[in-house]
Amino acid sequence: MEVGLAVKRAGAAVPEALLPVRTLGFRDPIKARTRTSCVGFQPPASGAWRKRAVWVARKGVVRSEAVLEEKAPPPMKKKEAGPVRLYVGLPLDAVSDCNAVNHGKAIAAGLRALALLGVHGVDLPVFWGVAAAGDWTSYLALAAMARDVGLRLRVSLHLHAQRRPRLPLPESVSRAAASNPDLLFSDRSGRRHPDCLSFAVDDLPVLDGKTPMEVYEEFFQSFRFAFSDFFGATIEDITIGLGPNGELRYPSFPPSGSHEFTGVGEFQCYDKYMLADLKRHAMEAGNPIWGHSGPHDAPEYNQSPAFGKFFKENGGSWETAYGQFFLSWYSGKLLSHGDRLLSVASQVFGDLPVALSAKVPLLHWWHKTRSRPSQLTAGFYNTDGRDGYDAVAEIFSSKSCTMIVPGMDLSDRDQPQGVKSSPESLLSQIMRACRKHGVRLAGENYSLVGVGTTGFRRIKENILAENSRLDSFTYHRMGAEFFSPEHWPMFTEFIRSMMQPEMDSDDIPSSGERFSLMDAVAADDREMQTV
Amino acid sequence: MLLVRWKPVLHCPPQGHRRRGFAWPRGPRRSLLLRRPIRSPAPAFLSISSSKFSQAGRARVRPVVRAGLAQTPSLADVENTEILFSETLSLKRSQTVEGKITVRLDPAVAEEEVSKWRLTIGCNLEGKWTLHWGVSYCDDLGSEWDQPPPEMRPPESVLIKDYAIETPLKRLSSQSERQALHELQIEFDSNTPIAAIHFVLKEEETGAWFQHKGRDFRISFTDYFEVANSVAGNQGLSIWPGGFDQISSLLLKAEESTSKKEDPDDEDGNVVKQNRCIAPIYKEFPILKEEFVPNHMTVSVRSSDKTDKNIVQFDTDLPGDVVIHWGVCKDDGRKWVIPSTPHPPATKIFRHKALQTLLQPKPDGLGSWGLFLVDQGTSGVVFVLKLNEYTWLNNNGTDFFIPIGSVSSTTAEIGSDDIVHEQQAGTEIHDVRNSLSPNNSYPLQNKSLEASDPQNINSLPMKPQGPEELIEAVAYTDEIIKEIRHLVTDISSEKGKRAKSKEAQENILQEIEKLAAEAYSIFRISIPGFVELASDTELLKPAVKLSSGTGSGYEILCQGFNWESHKSGRWYSELSDKAKELSSLGFTVIWLPPPTESVSPEGYMPKDLYNLNSRYGSLEELKDLVNSFHEVGIKVLGDAVLNHRCAHYQNKNGIWNVFGGRLNWDDRAIVADDPHFQGRGNKSSGDNFHAAPNIDHSQDFVRRDLKEWLCWLRKEVGYDGWRLDFVRGFWGGYVKDYMEATEPYFAVGEYWDSLSYTYGDMDHNQDAHRQRIVDWINATNGTAGAFDVTTKGILHSALEKCEYWRLSDQNGKPPGVVGWWASRAVTFIENHDTGSTQGHWRFPSGKEMQGYAYILTHPGTPAVFYDHIFSHYQQEISRLISVRNENKIHCRSTVKIVKAERDVYAAEIDGKLAVKIGPGHYEPPDGPTKWVVAAEGRDYKVWETS
Repeated sequence: MEVGLAVKRAGAAVPEALLPVRTLGFRDPIKARTRTSCVGFQPPASGAWRKRAVWVARKGVVRSEAVLEEKAPPPMKKKEAGPVRLYVGLPLDAVSDCNAVNHGKAIAAGLRALALLGVHGVDLPVFWGVAAAGDWTSYLALAAMARDVGLRLRVSLHLHAQRRPRLPLPESVSRAAASNPDLLFSDRSGRRHPDCLSFAVDDLPVLDGKTPMEVYEEFFQSFRFAFSDFFGATIEDITIGLGPNGELRYPSFPPSGSHEFTGVGEFQCYDKYMLADLKRHAMEAGNPIWGHSGPHDAPEYNQSPAFGKFFKENGGSWETAYGQFFLSWYSGKLLSHGDRLLSVASQVFGDLPVALSAKVPLLHWWHKTRSRPSQLTAGFYNTDGRDGYDAVAEIFSSKSCTMIVPGMDLSDRDQPQGVKSSPESLLSQIMRACRKHGVRLAGENYSLVGVGTTGFRRIKENILAENSRLDSFTYHRMGAEFFSPEHWPMFTEFIRSMMQPEMDSDDIPSSGERFSLMDAVAADDREMQTV
Repeated sequence: MLLVRWKPVLHCPPQGHRRRGFAWPRGPRRSLLLRRPIRSPAPAFLSISSSKFSQAGRARVRPVVRAGLAQTPSLADVENTEILFSETLSLKRSQTVEGKITVRLDPAVAEEEVSKWRLTIGCNLEGKWTLHWGVSYCDDLGSEWDQPPPEMRPPESVLIKDYAIETPLKRLSSQSERQALHELQIEFDSNTPIAAIHFVLKEEETGAWFQHKGRDFRISFTDYFEVANSVAGNQGLSIWPGGFDQISSLLLKAEESTSKKEDPDDEDGNVVKQNRCIAPIYKEFPILKEEFVPNHMTVSVRSSDKTDKNIVQFDTDLPGDVVIHWGVCKDDGRKWVIPSTPHPPATKIFRHKALQTLLQPKPDGLGSWGLFLVDQGTSGVVFVLKLNEYTWLNNNGTDFFIPIGSVSSTTAEIGSDDIVHEQQAGTEIHDVRNSLSPNNSYPLQNKSLEASDPQNINSLPMKPQGPEELIEAVAYTDEIIKEIRHLVTDISSEKGKRAKSKEAQENILQEIEKLAAEAYSIFRISIPGFVELASDTELLKPAVKLSSGTGSGYEILCQGFNWESHKSGRWYSELSDKAKELSSLGFTVIWLPPPTESVSPEGYMPKDLYNLNSRYGSLEELKDLVNSFHEVGIKVLGDAVLNHRCAHYQNKNGIWNVFGGRLNWDDRAIVADDPHFQGRGNKSSGDNFHAAPNIDHSQDFVRRDLKEWLCWLRKEVGYDGWRLDFVRGFWGGYVKDYMEATEPYFAVGEYWDSLSYTYGDMDHNQDAHRQRIVDWINATNGTAGAFDVTTKGILHSALEKCEYWRLSDQNGKPPGVVGWWASRAVTFIENHDTGSTQGHWRFPSGKEMQGYAYILTHPGTPAVFYDHIFSHYQQEISRLISVRNENKIHCRSTVKIVKAERDVYAAEIDGKLAVKIGPGHYEPPDGPTKWVVAAEGRDYKVWETS
């Protein structure tokens, strides 16, 4: 029999101004950041390649004099016992390339929905190219929107350009790159990657007399100044974009076109500065011939590793002395870039009550081969018998930086055949390295949206795994598809299932009007209306 | 019985910024508190699960009182008394009535039209019902609404923005008890590519909206997926459970499973997976509607001759038990005092503070009355009304006050404000428990009066009682105390909290769902443009100057898509596979669908012109497609929609007229004469297309931008020419400008307006029609051809009605554009609008080949529709094309009509081909030229010279 209460209506009990959401997550205690030093950087004991890498890194740090030093390895932090904090990424173009808030109304509604759902916070992608001029109005407006509905913020400071949606590098940088294309990464055939500046120019005064590192630092300072009201209370986390797509890697993927990249990628060491560095490095290694160019026998972007000799499973050039030399240098450049940039960031933000984080890619294609070409071209010297993530984790550890790893939604089973992909084993390798060095982990999904039920299940498994070191998870990304009737119910179900384990039946707020959905769900109420 | 949770949801109509989907606005929820009944503090959900309660609840009266100061005379039936004071209070009571909404889908009667269906929506409750509805087209999942196609709209419909319409339900004259009282029928063609009909019902008088479980009703005709867990719902119709219920079912699993048992028909979460098929359906949904019932209460005060008391008479037409909860005031204060005895009959003493007197039913059964005696020393009577334990009426939060003493100087302090305050039980308990406010202490409900069900009222023993018959006050107070004790226990227990949290949870769920829907609808339409920068603005100069109106003159055009092509999302790559085949069939030009980002999936509502990722595929895929056609020697036409463009943003008035993307025009780019879009440009130079802002081509900056865009398209995509959409909308001179700037290889405009008819019969002379098209071509200076709509129209009549004589005009020439300006006529028989799944003006079915035999043999540039190429006609079409090519028929070939009679039309073209269409007989005469049959089919034959 239908007996609906005709007068009850959403919002009757919920005040128009949104309820502050009870935080379900556990906020990290504010850490007093130790100043890091390269002097104390412990050379790991894993061989000559490593020494070189460290050497390079040290050299880089020495050059950037501003970096403060660290006396001891960072304290190994046990994972805090709190539940995983859940974030949702805002659209990449939430602020457009014209520095205007895009679809503000939709975001406002979306933020309120997320807040009511019990999501911890949102990830605000900030682009260098948009805010380089120091106009933070739009980003501030978004941050205030999130704050006003009681959401926390993780701010991602992206120093790269985005193709889609189009978010270019700052105009002055683009200008400089136009007059000197070698500022940009270049592949063997000379194609430039407009995504980000070559790591080799990090410390060269190529931007109107300033080095990119100096410019990055200015950008960070500008952000810090503009958002001073938000730190701690709203902004809990700052993510530093270390390379293309905000990830620590070379832009080794094909420059445009293909939506899906399943190949090996190419080495990006062909701009004049990288080549010069390689040359110098080869001289120092006593083998100048190696410094002429990158590997000549590597395949093209989407070719199989079997093309050319370099990545061959057995007897490939990667295993030769030259291969080791080149890969050590190549990956060392990446590590040193990451190290220096994180140093700059921790110097700027170190005294703020925020956590630092940075993202590494999950280059799972060809992981089941011995040479793991897609990781090598991206700068991770992680071949059979050699752990390339150990050094990465060490750097993150030294900067007390959380490592963000995407691809929590991927499972081996769903990967296409033929590319020998294994996201799961790569993920567990990265997690191992983090555990070893006491680095906190944060997860993200791989695809921007459209994870699907299996993806959500996999995320849940990863987060709830007993040995999981994840302390937050960011779901990318808000947008039309995110709120679509196909996707949204799955997402809410995911959030609910993530939160429920933490809920206790006592966890009912005393005031019936001040709680979020999850609290209400937790109330184990057997009295249900007839439907 | 299908149990569906129904809520009349009170809200304002959708606001402007929500373009699509029926999102509930966040307006002030004014009515909520007012309509909340006083109810027991026991959890509401508990009560409704009990059938006893539900019985009572159904007929529960939820009052809304309007207390006004209306000085109408009282019912003066007491003689010999002086009326000291009289006043009629008008009460507006709301009462919840149960009814049902019926949804019926069945085929329309006419048997030959099997594709006609009728959707009937009925409601058996009184009121002014309006259906607020829209449709979604195939492949548009989600909450997006569109307006139904015009032929579906019932005549009284009112368009709401551009995504919904409102149609009133008609009151039916024949009304039997269980039949619908109001009904609306929507007829539609099952071939219309609508995926679903969405609706909500609105009751105009109360302003209440009726949804289905917090979402729109959705009658779906296509397959879709739901989270699966049971087997029901295998019919053509399903009521979409809606996202909210998906969530709630997920969140409230325990409860859901129990409710499932009682609720076998509930369709939540059923698998409904099927192909687009429509099956008859009939469903009923119970609804609860609050109706306002005007009532009155007249209070008069008389002085009694016999005693020293005044007589206060209450007289009301409120149905059912009416209990006056009353007291008297001494002095000027408002302190409630129990009047001195004797009390009226059927009176209880309530907590030593007030009396509760049940009014006696009037003899005629319409209302009740009572006479109270009050001491003359009292200054007034204070009272509130109790209709049942849930429902109390008071005067704007305070008591009604009737002055007794110095009446003349006292105005009845009855608020003129119409607002009614009904108090919630929860607050009352507080009052009662603390016994603090003596003059405003509403009583608790009273078990002995609980049966005050209006339906039962007449059967209750209500014999008139003398004033001396007092109810045992002591027993009564005991009962009250017991009651209070229960309630206090209840409220302090967790149960109360839980009930409250459950309610709040429900609210939050709805809120979340609403917000998500809102975000979705905005995100969907504001997908930001991906601006590809044209790095090189240098124009491509064709090596040879050709007339863009004709191409080489030997072109055969293929329309490379239909209305459904966007569905797969990869049309470009699908079509790419057919490039070779199309080339070998003899086509030289292909017309591709509009490439830009579009509000409608088919592409004809463009938004960001520089975003070439559409439902047909990505820019890269488009380029690949163009390349693959170029490789096989086919020129490619881009479908350029220049007449209108959908805006990205609203202006400050909420009008969608501010553009974004690279061409971020403002309202100056919009023509001024369409009030919908408040353009600030000049008046339109053509007809208006009302669904989107029409671009003002008279603005220099607009033309400059459009030329730049077209050039960019040519260079970026590699288009060779244009098919220009809706060129009726602007002056052909602008087209000339664009053609000269872009120098296309071939261009054709769609100038489609109606032919002339007299009394439903097409006129023989369609010169006016073709003149308009020719005028347009002329305005373009011949830089573009035009689709020969005239020829298509005449072929319709000729073939359909066997009136082949129509195919010759008064001068013995072809009657269409092709007869006047053949080189600029692009002849066709069907396109994505006229045919395909839209079928706005479908070519006579089964006679398509006659049409093709005509256009493929005649001058003009023939265009063949995709659907026909890839159908069983392919062989015949292919044959006709090769005959045309072998005989080098071109757009300027000459026609000699040799026969145009009732049942046959025959012509010779360039002296090389002879053709006849129609069932009648024709053979080309034997003479110096020998004719051999080159192609033939049903009712057509083509000969060539041997």
